Amino acid sequence: MTGRPKATAYENLIFKEKVHGSLYTDPAIFQEEMDTIFHKGWVFVGHTSEVPNIGDFSRRFIGRQPIIITRDRDDNVNLLLNRCSHRGNLLCTRASGNASTFTCPYHGWSFGLDGGMRGMPMKVAMGDAFKPSEMGLAKVPRVGIHRGFIFASLAKDGMSFDDYLGDAKVLLDRAADLSPEGEITISAGWLKHRFKANWKMLPENNTDGYHVGSTHLSMLLATGVANSGAFNEEMGDPSVIRDWGGGHTELDFAPRYRESGRPFQWFGGTRPEKLPNYVAAMEAAYGKQETAKRFVDGPPHAIIFPNLFLAELNITYFYPVSPNEVIQYYTPLLLKGAPEMNKRAIRQTEGAMGPGSFLLPEDAAMAERNQLGLEAQYPEWLDLRRGLDREAVDAENGLLTSAVSDETTNRAFWRHYLTLMSEAKSAS
Amino acid sequence: MVSEQEYREVEAFIFKEARYADESAYDDWEALWEDDAKYWVPTSPDADTEVDISHIFDNRSRIATRIRQLKSGFRHSQTPCSPMRRIISNIEISPLNEHEYEVAANFMLMELAVQSTRDMNLWGGAINYRLRRVEGELRLFYKKIMLVDADEPIANLAFLI
Ligand code: FES
Ligand SMILES: [Fe+2]
Repeated sequence: MTGRPKATAYENLIFKEKVHGSLYTDPAIFQEEMDTIFHKGWVFVGHTSEVPNIGDFSRRFIGRQPIIITRDRDDNVNLLLNRCSHRGNLLCTRASGNASTFTCPYHGWSFGLDGGMRGMPMKVAMGDAFKPSEMGLAKVPRVGIHRGFIFASLAKDGMSFDDYLGDAKVLLDRAADLSPEGEITISAGWLKHRFKANWKMLPENNTDGYHVGSTHLSMLLATGVANSGAFNEEMGDPSVIRDWGGGHTELDFAPRYRESGRPFQWFGGTRPEKLPNYVAAMEAAYGKQETAKRFVDGPPHAIIFPNLFLAELNITYFYPVSPNEVIQYYTPLLLKGAPEMNKRAIRQTEGAMGPGSFLLPEDAAMAERNQLGLEAQYPEWLDLRRGLDREAVDAENGLLTSAVSDETTNRAFWRHYLTLMSEAKSAS
Repeated sequence: MVSEQEYREVEAFIFKEARYADESAYDDWEALWEDDAKYWVPTSPDADTEVDISHIFDNRSRIATRIRQLKSGFRHSQTPCSPMRRIISNIEISPLNEHEYEVAANFMLMELAVQSTRDMNLWGGAINYRLRRVEGELRLFYKKIMLVDADEPIANLAFLI
């Protein structure tokens, strides 16, 4: 018997047509989410291109726990918990850099990039049982890498990485396949944005097509695309939303792009003549026909549960801080072997993503207002019925699919959340 | 070196720019800019815009889009506008050439996020301005705002900084 309160009965809080307000505000639920989703389950932590050279490191979190991604002398990528094995000092304080060892300033113990203990002052008094080889940094027990995207689980056992990604693997592929070398690069740095809101509002919002016309109206007006019918199936937008299972969701614009068949509608409508080397490299790698298809369809707009958002040519992820706070990160998705694309991609990310951009400040303001509104206890439930009567399994791929403004993706998120949180409850 | 008269003139210009920003006087603020404008909020002092992402890196046309959006009435992250007041200090002025000046300064800004959290946000850092004299009038063609916490998680930066 522990002092923890009885685990929450999630089945009474989550239904397909509604979810309970306390899910966003209750500190006990937040703690159970950290234990189950972030400190056991698979989460996104970074990309191998962020530590390209031996000795490179980058600080991250898994849920609330600080870690370091390193590339060691044998060219292996390691995920180490950022805690000195002596008495717990935060070992690495720099956000990123290159080092040969990490030395703890408290008593001077030092560690290699693989986490192994390298040295300490005055070893004698430690006693015979003390073995430096056993005093390395703790390692994240399970690491999964697909197309350079690094995911981690702090649990020794549990669902395999393959089962976790499931079919949604192809969403990561679709991003990497826009590079003539089949690889994306993260190297432009991360923008960091503080939302005074519950973390779940981010994955819920990021594949929500319904909010765009209202939340982002100022951007649509300022850039002259208001009333274009985008995100509005009643005005003919054929884009769809899709439930990939496992909490992974997608807002697919390709059906809209295919109507005109013009390339690069996801890249400001840039004409291919402006990107001659990129076009040539892609055609050489994948052939003319396949390249043309990729240039029309574009990159994915999708959530990999719980914290990675493939936002077309942006990569976004987040860390929960508390029931009322989450930090969202943004960087441009750069394509290896496509320098013509990358400088423009940086400018495109600045326009759309981040606290000073034309899009995300509205999402942050709406999330914060949602959080404030949920302080009111009634009407208790958040309504999620939109599209419930018209969503259907797409015969082509077997995935639940619906119109662009439907809440199918929100329901997909919550269905998976309920599965995870209920399994954790029955296991405890 | 700049003359006392030039110093006062440049100082008056940057105080005016600060007041327009504080009061979200969008048209007045936009009218200060030259066509070769750069309005820049990097994430680190040694950032290179060729390869690094910035919070804001607006050329003249992006400044115009930013102002159109703020004036649309639907920029929810600035509706209503944040009440703001900033102090510009530690001003150092040097001539860039015969008709342009470089100005270095520090700033502190109190911003009240009335649209959402009602948090009182404290912003601060260094500013570099570049001004040009055009037909006797000073004009702004470069403003770089190096926030002390540029590489930390920050709140919405949808107002004029
Ligand atoms: S806590 Fe790190 S050396 Fe003592
Ligand atoms: Fe949005």
